[in-house]
Amino acid sequence: MGLAGNAAIVGAAQYKPEKYQTAPQMFHLEQVADLAHQALQDAGLHKDDLDGLVINGPQFHEASVFVPAMAAEYLGIEVNFAEVVDLGGCTAVAQIWRAAAAIEMGLCQAVLCVIPARMAPLAPNEDPAWMAQAMRYGGHSTAYGAPEAEFDLPYGHMGQNTGYAMIAQRYAAQYGYDKSAMAKIAVDQRFNAQYHKDAIFRGKELSIEDVLGSKLVADPLHVLEIVMPVAGGAAVIVASKEVAARAKKRPAFVTGFGERLSFKSPSYANDMTVTPVAEAAKRAFGMAGLSPKDMHAAQIYDCYTITVLLSLEDAGFVPKGEGQRFIKEHNLTWKGDFPLNTHGGQLSFGQAASAGGFSQVIEAFDQISNSAQGRQLKGCDNVFVSGTGGVMSEQGALILQGG
Amino acid sequence: MATLKPMPQATKISAPFWQALKENQVKIQQCNSCDGWVFFPRNHCSHCLSHDLDWKEVSGEGTLYSYTLTRIPTMPEFADEMPQALAVVELAQGVRVNTTLIDVAEEDIKVGMPVKAVFDKVSKDGETLLRFTSVSNDGGVREFKDPLEGLERNDKGQVQVPVSNLAALYALADNEFTPWSNSIVVDQALINAFAELSGDDYWIHTDPERAKTDSPFKTTIAHGSLVQVLQSKLTIALPFEITGFQTMVNYGSNRLRFPAPVPAGSVIKGRSKVQDVSVSHKGVQVTLEMHIHVEGNDRPSVINDLVILYR
Ligand SMILES: [Zn+2]
Repeated sequence: MGLAGNAAIVGAAQYKPEKYQTAPQMFHLEQVADLAHQALQDAGLHKDDLDGLVINGPQFHEASVFVPAMAAEYLGIEVNFAEVVDLGGCTAVAQIWRAAAAIEMGLCQAVLCVIPARMAPLAPNEDPAWMAQAMRYGGHSTAYGAPEAEFDLPYGHMGQNTGYAMIAQRYAAQYGYDKSAMAKIAVDQRFNAQYHKDAIFRGKELSIEDVLGSKLVADPLHVLEIVMPVAGGAAVIVASKEVAARAKKRPAFVTGFGERLSFKSPSYANDMTVTPVAEAAKRAFGMAGLSPKDMHAAQIYDCYTITVLLSLEDAGFVPKGEGQRFIKEHNLTWKGDFPLNTHGGQLSFGQAASAGGFSQVIEAFDQISNSAQGRQLKGCDNVFVSGTGGVMSEQGALILQGG
Repeated sequence: MATLKPMPQATKISAPFWQALKENQVKIQQCNSCDGWVFFPRNHCSHCLSHDLDWKEVSGEGTLYSYTLTRIPTMPEFADEMPQALAVVELAQGVRVNTTLIDVAEEDIKVGMPVKAVFDKVSKDGETLLRFTSVSNDGGVREFKDPLEGLERNDKGQVQVPVSNLAALYALADNEFTPWSNSIVVDQALINAFAELSGDDYWIHTDPERAKTDSPFKTTIAHGSLVQVLQSKLTIALPFEITGFQTMVNYGSNRLRFPAPVPAGSVIKGRSKVQDVSVSHKGVQVTLEMHIHVEGNDRPSVINDLVILYR
């Protein structure tokens, strides 16, 4: 059941993560077209090869409904498969498997997966202060009847930081908490970022003392264990085996995937410390007929250090409760024995809203296709990728394999 | 930018929960089909989707499932709670509740500790939030403390609110209108004078004969903008006076509507309430929602959300 592995990532494009204040402002449609152009060039394909489109719906600037139609019109493409994905940081991973599934069903042969995440220019009469005010609740609904508006916001439960912090505290109470192991995740990833020309924290090395000395945001999370939001955006082309055969680069076949979600607030999880990626990864590995030890790299969604720890455990790389020991015993850099987030992770590469999840997908493709200049792993054929949206509430997993 | 703390808006589904809290009880739903407990309130059981749920009073005792202490407020208006002790409490029935801990020292907070309900009265109307504290503390009720209490009053009886006292400023937005102002008559002479001044002499305002036959109102009506400016002639007794600012600026209107006409000869009166108080780098912004009515008409003729900036 699942994918036969007949669809592959064949090309990608990703804006260099930049601070919002200094990043170029572009309409989202404009970014979609620009990223599509770059990704097609990367693949060596032509616009007319595209016959599928997967795009983000929420936060799309020029439309809140009919986003795929508007994007197809702007691009000038005709598609047999159009999809909007609304899974937060899991959107990128979720777009890839949907594209692969549509291709394997014979609906289409080349799908553009895309999330624009640079700011659009303000209209002449748009007030930036008003925009900031409208954004102040972030991903929290304030709609009448929304459970979180009624039962979370009045108590000050808002934002991602405190949800992840509470997951970390629960984990700490059950399994113990080694602050320096958690900091080491950020430190090893920062090392990797020194070898990626686009990483936002390139040129700024980091020590465990730096992480633990940084400001506490919500116990036990320090500011250097939390991603920095940046402007960016990314696109990936997923294509059939036949199209992949004429692509420029070595394709990364999608041989397994899984997806799982069951709550928005982690307070309502069956067990806060067992995250949805457990089921998603089990399905993905089962589909690919591989196991965690077969992976040559793990590109694990890292909005926080705690996300990485729990994903490593729940995806099966290390038994529950032993993740911190594992982190201390292994070198997680691209030069090490357990290459993790070899681009620096979003913690050091930058998190471009929900396009941040593409940084992990694209790094997996870069490693498999031998394009990871300066940090290239040797013989990298099998890569695990995870995506996480909300507060560990929606997670997905991909197994990508070189063809 | 800060505004008032967000408050729960009860729905038909959740109203019994909030009403029970007002009465110092914790009530949650139990399913009659599968005996499962349900939180947050729903019309369907989260275990079996049955509609057959009943509200049951429970002890409000539970354990601390997890928590965090915030070192940066999750929203600016929570700055007075630092560090916020955000908590997830698992009630004895097994359901979890997002809440905060109160009156527990940082070092005494432990995942798994037994806790009990505190009914925190957060408004003078008795609106109640469900917080928790250690079982070794007195639980029960935390009474509302009016931030306006104890502030001085001027000779008009207005409470003196220093612009620096954010809690008191927020308390001004209490959603109650002032008593009605004095009344004034809007007669044809006044309308004509305004027509001449403004240049808007459209017949619907100025030609009583034609209005009798052609106007849907069968009489002339006042210009909306005339009625709007007449608010200066309406003396509205605001129950407070903001003090201690350098400058006060009329910043304009967030909303200006003329929902009902004012026929010539009408008697109008007004009232207002503080709609919103917010703080930004520009200063303290108070939004006064001003309503002007024709006497006897429940529908306002003018709604004007006036923004006044103090700094
Ligand atoms: Zn039931």
